[in-house]
Amino acid sequence: MKKISISLLLLLLATFLFASNATALEGSFKVGPAIILISILILFVLVGLFFRAKDTTDYYAAGRGVSRVGSGMAIASNWMSAASFLGMAALMYGSGYHGLAFVVGWTGGYVLLLILMAGQIRKYGKYTAPDFIGDRYYSTGLRATSAVVAILISISYCVGQFGGIGLMFKWVMGIDYMWAVIIGSSVVLTYTLISGMLGVTKNMQIQYVIIIISFLIPLFILTYKFDYFWIVPEIGYGAVVTDIVQGIPAPETTNLVNSFGHDFAILPSPEYAMPWDPATGKTFFQWIAITFSLMIGTAGLPHVIQRFYVVPKARDARWSVVWGLFFICILYWSAPVFSAFGKILSADPEIGVLAKDAIVVYTAQLGDINPLIVGLLAAGGVSAAFSTVSGLLVAGSSAFSHDLYFKVINPKADPKTQLRMARFATVLMAIIVMFLAMLKLALIGQLVALAFSLAGCTIFPLFLLGIWWSGSNKKGAISGLAVGLFITAISLTYFVAGKAGATLPFHSFVSYWLGAWYFAWIGAPLAILTNIIVSKLTEETPLEIRKFLVEKVHS
Amino acid sequence: MISKKNKEKQVEKKNDYRISFFKPTTALSRTNRNLVVLLVIIWAVAIFGFQILLRVMQKPVPESSLKTFEKVWKNVELGMATQEEKVDFANSVLSVLGKSVLISDPGNRTVLINAVSSTVYDLIPEEGKEIFRKEIADFEKKKENIRSLQDNEYLQAKANIIDRIAPLLNLKPYSLKAKLLPLVISAAEMEVFQPENKEKLPNIMKLYLIHNRSVLTDTNFLGFPFHYFYTAIFLLVMFVALCWIYCFLIDRVHTKLGTNEKS
Repeated sequence: MKKISISLLLLLLATFLFASNATALEGSFKVGPAIILISILILFVLVGLFFRAKDTTDYYAAGRGVSRVGSGMAIASNWMSAASFLGMAALMYGSGYHGLAFVVGWTGGYVLLLILMAGQIRKYGKYTAPDFIGDRYYSTGLRATSAVVAILISISYCVGQFGGIGLMFKWVMGIDYMWAVIIGSSVVLTYTLISGMLGVTKNMQIQYVIIIISFLIPLFILTYKFDYFWIVPEIGYGAVVTDIVQGIPAPETTNLVNSFGHDFAILPSPEYAMPWDPATGKTFFQWIAITFSLMIGTAGLPHVIQRFYVVPKARDARWSVVWGLFFICILYWSAPVFSAFGKILSADPEIGVLAKDAIVVYTAQLGDINPLIVGLLAAGGVSAAFSTVSGLLVAGSSAFSHDLYFKVINPKADPKTQLRMARFATVLMAIIVMFLAMLKLALIGQLVALAFSLAGCTIFPLFLLGIWWSGSNKKGAISGLAVGLFITAISLTYFVAGKAGATLPFHSFVSYWLGAWYFAWIGAPLAILTNIIVSKLTEETPLEIRKFLVEKVHS
Repeated sequence: MISKKNKEKQVEKKNDYRISFFKPTTALSRTNRNLVVLLVIIWAVAIFGFQILLRVMQKPVPESSLKTFEKVWKNVELGMATQEEKVDFANSVLSVLGKSVLISDPGNRTVLINAVSSTVYDLIPEEGKEIFRKEIADFEKKKENIRSLQDNEYLQAKANIIDRIAPLLNLKPYSLKAKLLPLVISAAEMEVFQPENKEKLPNIMKLYLIHNRSVLTDTNFLGFPFHYFYTAIFLLVMFVALCWIYCFLIDRVHTKLGTNEKS
């Protein structure tokens, strides 16, 4: 550990000595930010090496010895992806109040997760989400199907993250997007492979600290520099929002300016803060549907659920959610500050069209913040993506090696073979994700929200009913899952067709009511209803499952 | 305590080990059910109830620019507008062109650029029209070729255009709308205000200048519009508080019933 600290110290020293200017919004190689980014990536790999997994228990569940606060930090880091760090501000920058649906959706789901599932999941004592489903519904087929669903969710989620990594590497290094994705994926793959979840958990705690520090420092500077209440920027920016709504007239004598010398001024823009403003093209229904889908998706994401297996007791699982949510909220309270300042600082048409997903970094640049701090911010964005990707790769590879290979294909596999299969799955998934990310199929936020809706339609109903109603049986679960997958298939078919420029029957109707990032608003209730009806009509859940639920999960 | 536990076990056996959230059989599950139901109600009402309230109370409120636009539009459309009306018209269109949200819709932007360019051109005295058109065309070329926004020639040309047009529109040269002018006036869109653009303009103006407002959006709280504070700040505080309350109370219940989990 001492060696790691010394290496890091030397790297940071080098950063400050050789830092260069980073004022160009795009295109150039930015030495200071690049050194910061490389230092942080080296730190991740070293920490991964130091805390690497020794056996399958370590690999899947970090030896079940992580503290509540530590687990909370890991939950937050695991959760705060490129979508939170970069995409959240982008959504509010582009569509104002509509973007807050994502803020509420991505935090409110934790309340459901806590009160309905966290403690019970830990008490059930399984390693992975498909493990729980296969066991609870006494079905190898369901285990295999949910493993495939878990892998699909992980892939969909990862593709968005790799997009974010690509964007930040492109910004820092001025390299091609393709190379940025290749380099980023190679590094995240290396340390996930070396460390497994034990290393990942430690990494996640370090990543959380880096993410939150890098995110908060520019906010204090921006609010101080532009004369707002800077002691708590998350409150101080309220006046920024009001100023955007009412407009800030340009002063006669230049006073506050952005890095291009434009006045800190904006014409009245109420569309930024008013609810479901017609100018944004977003509606009340979409706000509600997105919030609801993201919330239930939160409670159904395998890599989130899996975090509860790493704490010693159910009580710790519950408290780790409280800590996790608190740590998450620190970032979610702060993200709108970037979008509000970004709105004013980029108000001059000379700035041109900015990539929304990079607005956090652009805002810091336009606010003329020291390039090193902007570099740290970009590194924070990469950390956010890395921490989530590593958790997703572990969840996806666990689903493959544990739930598909060990439980279905080769039950006699020894722990060594299982670990080898987990690593093989990690490599395979990373390659698939890297390839998909290069295709630039959709925006970060779109792909991530899609993963939420998929989880909300499939995994969430199985967990909810599996824990709280012993009457839910195998046939009910299969039918419910089929309905959830059917709704998913319809939504995705229309989404892909739309992207390809094709028009299917009732295209605009289906695209609106079953949008790719909020189809769970109807998919999840239908899946739950189907599960209940079919379960009621078919034979009861076996006694041993009911007994297990009573004695182990609800005792 | 032990006899209570045994009693509950016997109830479960009698019930043949059936679990249902809505039909709890033990003191623990009953307390948990009540707590969960209460928290879910608070959670749902706070999130969705407030948004529904916001939706119910909202009224479409136009910006002052739209009112100005509607006052002069008929005459502008018929080509009968006075100088003052043309100035008011150009100013109202500029207030939409300055909104960065427009960037996402190039079609609407083209209509607005045509409207403001043709009106400004119309306001230029006859003898200066040709020089003005050339000045704008030269500036557009410069804008395409500059490497930095701080380029001296570019800045000078921009300042010249502002100095020439701002007084015509009763704008101070340092004002935002004046600074917007060189960037939105197009030499290609000056001659005619196209009939198809005239047809589209009123709807575009309404789209960008009417907003859903109510007492909830117009009340200021800690500097925020109240609804924004509620959604962006308060709801998140409430989520953490709900989680904390649940953990605290359920821990107390476990201690009281002696059902704490062993390490």
